[in-house]
Amino acid sequence: MAMKSESEHEAGPDDRTRRLLLRHMLVARGVDEEACQLQKQGALDLWPSGQGQEAAQVGSALAVGPDPTVFPSYREHAVALMRGVAPEELFAQWAGRTYCGWDPRRARFFPYTLVLAAQTLHAVGYSIGRRLQGLEDFVVVYIGDGATSEGDMAEAMNLAAVEAASVLFVCQNNGWAISKPAAEQMRTTLAERARGFGIEAVAVPGQDPEIVFAACSRAAAHIRGERAPYLVELQVGRIHGHSTADAQEVYRSAEDIAAARAADPVARYAGRLRERGVVDAAWFDEVDAEVRELCERLAKEYA
Amino acid sequence: MGAARAASLAESINTTLADLLEQDPRVLLLGEDIGRLGGVFRVTRGLRDRFGPDRVRDALLAESTIVGQAVGLALSGLVPVCEIQFDGFTYPAANQLVTQAARIGDRWGGRIRPSIVVRIPTGAGGRTVEHHSEASEALFAGCPGISVACPSTGEDADQILRYAVTAGAPVVVYEPIRLYWRRTSPPRDPEPAASPTSARILRRGRDLTVATYGAITHEVLEAAHDLAPDVDAEVVDLRWAAPLDVDTVLRSVGRTGRLLVVHEGTKDYGVGAELAASIADRGFDLLRGPVRRLAPARRGFPPADFAKDHLIGVQDIKDGMLEMTK
Repeated sequence: MAMKSESEHEAGPDDRTRRLLLRHMLVARGVDEEACQLQKQGALDLWPSGQGQEAAQVGSALAVGPDPTVFPSYREHAVALMRGVAPEELFAQWAGRTYCGWDPRRARFFPYTLVLAAQTLHAVGYSIGRRLQGLEDFVVVYIGDGATSEGDMAEAMNLAAVEAASVLFVCQNNGWAISKPAAEQMRTTLAERARGFGIEAVAVPGQDPEIVFAACSRAAAHIRGERAPYLVELQVGRIHGHSTADAQEVYRSAEDIAAARAADPVARYAGRLRERGVVDAAWFDEVDAEVRELCERLAKEYA
Repeated sequence: MGAARAASLAESINTTLADLLEQDPRVLLLGEDIGRLGGVFRVTRGLRDRFGPDRVRDALLAESTIVGQAVGLALSGLVPVCEIQFDGFTYPAANQLVTQAARIGDRWGGRIRPSIVVRIPTGAGGRTVEHHSEASEALFAGCPGISVACPSTGEDADQILRYAVTAGAPVVVYEPIRLYWRRTSPPRDPEPAASPTSARILRRGRDLTVATYGAITHEVLEAAHDLAPDVDAEVVDLRWAAPLDVDTVLRSVGRTGRLLVVHEGTKDYGVGAELAASIADRGFDLLRGPVRRLAPARRGFPPADFAKDHLIGVQDIKDGMLEMTK
């Protein structure tokens, strides 16, 4: 049988996949840090940092592969980079040059949507439209926990359920809707809410890319096998404020911010793979060089 | 001249939609109760049987879902023609219309320009309950990226819908409820509009220009015919609330020197205000008197017992025309 058994899922991805996960996470982190730096210098007007969410983004994007069209929110920078969006293209809208710096069709990564959850209905409609035309109808839509309070999110889950649309909802729950903590936003997990709509759902820790990869692989298999939607809720950390314009120190305790930094998914996963001998110093040097080159290019373009 | 008998507006739109579905496999219809029921006004009657439930889709009772889903359908390469059940129920879809549908072209850097049509039954149409007689066209006319059509005949609706499915941007089409099944209409000049997006001159005249659109076009024509030949009015059916065909009105005012704007949507911040400002701006020297507007006061549509006090009637229009030409 070519299909992976449950135990193989449990065993986790192979070493090649592990290195791929880490490489994408390191690149995303490097580009994000450069963006924060450029914003401080005034070269970018704003940057919604994705630091702390790399494992969730890279794990989910790698699990679904390059075929599904992605409807992002506005913080899925790691997914964008994995879809071949150049960092320069990614930064263009945050430097006020355009509303979308990349070719959405080529990347199958659609423009960022800043009105929360509006893209969830687009994603479901797109999947329905593709199915009607006999085309690949697997669609991934990203939302944050804050966006799940919007009516469009509930409408999109219901529409996806009744239409049996091939939509994977990926919620990155970073615990904060700007300054509103998750505990004050919802009484259940989003996964429970999705099940209420008749959507299969799972809530998993989103700081470990291997757990995310496994959960999203199962979700993708379900969507392709059952032709039905699925929701994955990923608990992630938020290292920086909501955006560079946000002062999280005003509403968030120093301990909480320190805890998010200590749980940094990139540093942890890098350490883990190094300890296990999956990667070595030479491998890190190579990735560092790649990231350095990207950042130099970005600085040249924007600084 | 006697009143002309013709296909009703609803029948004309039904024929046009059937033809569009027939001609273009990308076109699909989406709205509440439009399939099995044929729409609460029966505009889409028989289309589900003919084209199937995939292309004539009974939508969930959620307006944001209708337009938000239509954005996705359009991005996938289809041409959705949505129906909102009543004008007053448009607001839950307003976010998807204004911040999403209207901005696709700009957001995609002009790489794609999908067409999305939203048909909205509008205006007073008999004794109705709250939210069933609204006229909200000015609201969306104020939104860049959205074109707003207000046809008053089946022929115009046909031309406008055929244009709308190829417009490459969202078009909201306001269909007057009280004309859906009316069989008679005051006589109009047969002169066609210069283009699908231009206004249309319904009656030639020398003394003043009356610019109007939608259902009330009938009352304006009736008033003009009643007052002729003492007052010889030129009646312009704007047909579009946005973009406004100011050029056609300007040329008309060049002939008459006077402009009265009549509409059913409320007066303040209305389409008449925009037109009056544009004519004052570009045609001040053509005017022999101030531009006047006749439209309901700025208040919510009243309960049915008081609808007559709210709406502009034939007598109000005649009074306005006489006042301006005395």
